[in-house]
Amino acid sequence: MNFQRKDLTTYGLVAALVLAAALPFLSDSMFLLNLAVLMLISIIFASAWNLLAYSGQGSLGHAAFFSIGAYASTMIALQSGFSPFITIFIGAAVAAVIGILIGLTCVRLKEWFLAMVTFGFAIIVQTLTVSVFAPFTGGWDGIASPRLVSPSIPGYQLIEYYAILFITIATLAAIWYIMKSRIGLAFLAIRENELEARAAGVDPVRYRLIAFGISAYLAGVAGALQIHHIGYLTPELYGVDNSFWPITFVILGGLGTLAGPVVGTVVLTFIWEGLKMTGLTFGRYVIVGFILILTIIFLPKGLVNLPEKFRTWREGRRGAGGGLKKE
Amino acid sequence: MDNLGIFLQIMFWGLYAGCIYILLATGLNLIFGVMKIVNFAHGEFLMIGAYITATVFLLTGINPYVILLLSMLALVGIGAIIERLCFRPILGTGKLNEIFLSIGLIYIFQNGAAMIWGDAWQSVKSPYDGITIPVGSLNVPLDYIIIIAFTAAILIALYIFLNRTRIGMEMRATSQNRKGAMLVGIDVERIDVISFGLGCALAAAAGTLWVVSGQVFNPYMGSIPAVKAFAIIILGGLGSIPGAIIGGLLMGLAENGAAYFLGGIWKDAVSFIILIVVLIVRPTGLFGDKGE
Repeated sequence: MNFQRKDLTTYGLVAALVLAAALPFLSDSMFLLNLAVLMLISIIFASAWNLLAYSGQGSLGHAAFFSIGAYASTMIALQSGFSPFITIFIGAAVAAVIGILIGLTCVRLKEWFLAMVTFGFAIIVQTLTVSVFAPFTGGWDGIASPRLVSPSIPGYQLIEYYAILFITIATLAAIWYIMKSRIGLAFLAIRENELEARAAGVDPVRYRLIAFGISAYLAGVAGALQIHHIGYLTPELYGVDNSFWPITFVILGGLGTLAGPVVGTVVLTFIWEGLKMTGLTFGRYVIVGFILILTIIFLPKGLVNLPEKFRTWREGRRGAGGGLKKE
Repeated sequence: MDNLGIFLQIMFWGLYAGCIYILLATGLNLIFGVMKIVNFAHGEFLMIGAYITATVFLLTGINPYVILLLSMLALVGIGAIIERLCFRPILGTGKLNEIFLSIGLIYIFQNGAAMIWGDAWQSVKSPYDGITIPVGSLNVPLDYIIIIAFTAAILIALYIFLNRTRIGMEMRATSQNRKGAMLVGIDVERIDVISFGLGCALAAAAGTLWVVSGQVFNPYMGSIPAVKAFAIIILGGLGSIPGAIIGGLLMGLAENGAAYFLGGIWKDAVSFIILIVVLIVRPTGLFGDKGE
C-alpha cells in the first residue's frame, strides 16, 4: 500500500464523479434524488463562502447573497418570461453587484467588523424585502417561483439533477482555476500578510472586491437554483441559519481547500438526515454545534486533512519501532 | 399626546432598551479588553440568564430582582467553563476561528435551551406590574425605573471592582499589556476565566432585566441583541466602558425613534444601518483609535 497523495486525490475525484453521474440509476428513490440536488446546491453555496474565506474574509451573512440571487432570478423570470436557466445567471449578477457594494464597505475593516457588517446586512435586506419591496416580493408570505424544469416534462427530476450537477462541476472547476491562478495567489497573499502582499505589488482592495464579487455571484447562483428547484420563495431564506450552514460545512470539510466544502457538505448532510430518523429536533442542532467546536479545536484543517494526519501518525509509530508513541 | 410627550416616551423607551444593551456591551468589552477574543455567542448568555430567572421565579415566586444575583452567579460558572473548554484551546489561532467557534456555541445553547424549555415565546409578570409613576406628563412603569437604577448600580459596582480591588486591577493590567502582566506575576489565565465569567454575569443581568420588564423571550432571542452590542462597542470604542454606555444609550434611542417613526419592522435594521454608515466614515469606530 503505497498511495501517494496525488493518487489518492485522483482516485477520489474519479470515484466522486462516477458516483454522482450514476446516482439516479442506483436508486429509484425520489427522496434520495431530491436530497442529492439540495446537496449539490449546498456545495455551490459552501464553495462560494469558502472562496471569500480563502481571501481572509469570513462572512456571517452569506444568506443575503443567496437570497438576493433567488429573489432577483424569480422576479426577472416572472416579469420577462425567460427560462430560469437564463435568469439564474442574471439574478446572480445582481447578487454580485450588491456583493461588491458591501465589499466596498468591508475592504478596510478588520475580520470581525466584517463579520458584523455582513450579519447586519442580511437583516437589513430581509427588512427591505418585507417592507419596501413587499409589493413585488409578497412580503412574509413569499411568492411562487417558476420551476427550473417544468414538471409537465417526463423525467423532469432527472433533467434537473443533471443540469444542477453540471453547474456544480463547472463551479468547482472555475474555483479550482481561480485558486491556481494569479488571483488565487493574491487572495492567499492578502490573507497571510496584507502588508507584505502590498509590498509585493498586490492591491488588497482590488482583490478583496474580486473575491466578494465572485463569492456573491456563486452564492446567488446557489440561491436561484434552490428556489427554482423548490418552486417557492419566502424571506426566511435570509435567516441566520442559512448564513451559518455554509460555514459549518466548510469548517468540517476543510477551510480554504477545494475539496473541503464538498466533503463537509456530503458528510454533514448524511449525519443530519441520519439524525432526523432518530426523531431528534433541536438535538440535531446541538450535535452540529458540538461537531463544529470539536472540529475547530481538534481538527483545525478539517476532514480533508485526515489522510495526512493518519500518515504522520503511522510514520510516527514506525519511527518509534512499532511501539505506541505518545506526544 | 403632544409632541413633547411623544419625545419623552421615546426617550424613556430608549433609556430602558439602552440599559440592556449597556450591560451586554460592557460585558463584551470586558472580555475583549482582557482576552482580545470576539464571542458572537454572548447573546446566548443573556438568554440563559433570562431563562434561569424566569424558571426560578415561576417555581419559587421569589422577587425576580433578587434572583438577578443568583442568575449572575450561575452565569459566572457557565462562562468559566466555556472559557476553559472552548476558547482557551484556540486562543491566538486567529479571529476567524473565534467567530466560527461562537457559531458552534450558538447552535448548542439555543437548541439546548429549546430542548429544556421549548421554543415558544414566553413572558412573566413582574410583581410590580401595572404600577406606574408620573414623570412629567408621562406615566412610567415602576419596573423601568427599577431597571434603570439596577443598571446604574451594577455599573458603579463594576467601576469600584475594577479600580479598588486587587483582581480588578490585575484585570486592567492584563488588558493594557498581557505580557507585562505576566512578567509582574499575574496569573493571566486565571484573569481570563474571571473576566469571561464576569462578562457572562453582566449578560445574565441583562437577561434578567429583560424578563422582569415583561418582554417576551425565547431561546433564539439572544443573537440580535448580541450583534447590536458588538455594534455598540464598535461605535463606542473597543475596550472603553464609558464608550459602551454612551453607545448603548444612543442605540436604544435610535432604535425606538426608528420604530416609532418608520414602523416596528425597522427596529433591528436601523442599528445595523447606523453601524455600516459609521464604519464607512470611520473604519475604526467613532472613538476607537488603537484598533485591534
